[in-house]
Amino acid sequence: MVHALEEIRRLVKADGCLIDIHPIPNAALFKIHRGSELLLAEPDPGYDTDESIPRAEEALAEAVQRGLFLIERKDEFELVTYASTLAELRDYWAAYGAYDDTPKDEAVTAQEDAVYAKADEIMQNAPGAEITYHERARITRMEPVGEE
Amino acid sequence: MTIRVDPENNEPRALFSLADFNGQRVLEIGCGDGRLTWRYADKARHVTAIDAFEGSIARAMDNTPDDLKSRVEFRHTGFEDFAATNRAGTFDLAILSWSL
Repeated sequence: MVHALEEIRRLVKADGCLIDIHPIPNAALFKIHRGSELLLAEPDPGYDTDESIPRAEEALAEAVQRGLFLIERKDEFELVTYASTLAELRDYWAAYGAYDDTPKDEAVTAQEDAVYAKADEIMQNAPGAEITYHERARITRMEPVGEE
Repeated sequence: MTIRVDPENNEPRALFSLADFNGQRVLEIGCGDGRLTWRYADKARHVTAIDAFEGSIARAMDNTPDDLKSRVEFRHTGFEDFAATNRAGTFDLAILSWSL
């Protein structure tokens, strides 16, 4: 990851900038609503052990420590994905390659399956319900340091 | 219903509060289907948007609005390969789009 940041530093002009956007650990939340009624709210178990997210934070910190970039500003926002069925949401993630396909820990997979089974059951019994998937993300503006 | 991602525009709002895209040469790494690219490309001078996932890039290419075709270039490539073939100081602004 830091090697990628070194390469980005090379490709960006000395007076340019880097914007990094990445999800915040343990923050994704899966919800089912029908109108204003909240039928389900569960953390996404997949994020609990997604090692790539803390690694992103570490890589940015290391890039600063190595003198590649300075952090100018940071902010956070919520990205919400809406779907009418669970299958639609999962098809979307699969089709767009939204997630790392490296095998997950067995316990995480079991926990994920339990959340999705619960969601499926609720959706079958609640016509008109809508699924929302909430991801918190951090956005950081970084300024290159030194010569190109 | 189709999938709707960020209809509240929270992501572009956060992006525009941190960066001015006017007249910039932009590199977006991990552009996916172009969801974020479309939000700023009309302001940029030129956008090179890359992703290692072929399906996403194909969708991005297919869905490129006509008025952006002259300034947005999508490439199916990994970042290391892309970096190896590009000169230093090519871009004003780089975006790591959920890809670090």
